[in-house]
Amino acid sequence: MRRTLGLAGLLLTGAAHAADVDDLTAALRQARTLAARGTAEVSVFFPPRAVPTRTAATLPAVPFRPALLAAHFTVTRADAPPVAGRDVTRFDLVPKVGQAARWTLWVDRAWNIPLAYEERMPDGTLARRATFTQVQPQAVKVKRGVPAIPAGLRPAVLAALPGLRLPPGFVPTGVKVRPAGGLEVTLSDGANVLALVLAPRNVRAAPGVASRRVGDGFVWLVGNLPAAPLRSALAGIKSVDLAGLGTFLAPAASNP
Amino acid sequence: MNDTELDTLLAHARTETPADAGAADRFLAWHRAEQAGTALPSPAPRARPVWWPALLGAAAVLTGALVLRPAPDLPASAAYDAYQGALGEGW
Repeated sequence: MRRTLGLAGLLLTGAAHAADVDDLTAALRQARTLAARGTAEVSVFFPPRAVPTRTAATLPAVPFRPALLAAHFTVTRADAPPVAGRDVTRFDLVPKVGQAARWTLWVDRAWNIPLAYEERMPDGTLARRATFTQVQPQAVKVKRGVPAIPAGLRPAVLAALPGLRLPPGFVPTGVKVRPAGGLEVTLSDGANVLALVLAPRNVRAAPGVASRRVGDGFVWLVGNLPAAPLRSALAGIKSVDLAGLGTFLAPAASNP
Repeated sequence: MNDTELDTLLAHARTETPADAGAADRFLAWHRAEQAGTALPSPAPRARPVWWPALLGAAAVLTGALVLRPAPDLPASAAYDAYQGALGEGW
């Protein structure tokens, strides 16, 4: 009897999480066409910068990918005190696997768009936060989007870097040419991003930065992950063959 | 030491003794022998030292070291710039 009840409870909890994911997905989709304006406080502690906090008229963009997010995060809804005087619902996002950063979003109940979000490392340290302190009475229409993931990109990246072990939950979402030479592959788990860089020169070790020599060049992995998973992602790379990535390169920036 | 003592000492120093004479004789004998022994035809003038190959070699080594030296590591900001580009606009 107790086991049956436990199973039923588990199923109900699962169903509740699924509903929470759906609600968050709806809010993230709504945020592609509607945005609040006002005064926002934006703090960035990783990547480190001289002046971490500034104010802005709108929330900075986060390239949320709802499908990836639903697959890689456990989403839990909770009540929360108002943000900038408006009623909100809080969504907590915890990675199902790996040591990726966790997120919290505060979604306006009337407009169904985020009014604040923050990114924390697994140990709870704040990495980024953006929150409205004052909001104009009307939300404005916007057109925001995240480029679709090109079909076949993941196998192409894995073929170009044999031995690469993508950190748990992360998939390649785009490739572009670096102005200074080399390539940059963006990885995403739906909320967090990592930059996988193929460069002719090495880069100095620093928090959130791992690199190693492969063949004639260097591979860097940069992002909000502890040093161990960053290093182990690169540790097995045996060679670099960029020939297969050419078709995925984003068109070069316009240069009239 | 007063002046009288100093004068006495200098006077002693100026007085030639048999030991001095012997030393002079020994030196003169040795010097004459040396003169006789080296009275040979003067050798051919030595070739002037050639300095430019050494300079050329040093320049080649320096150039090689500069060209082949591995490029220094980029600062961590180069890595953070790449990450910043993937973060989304406005951060």
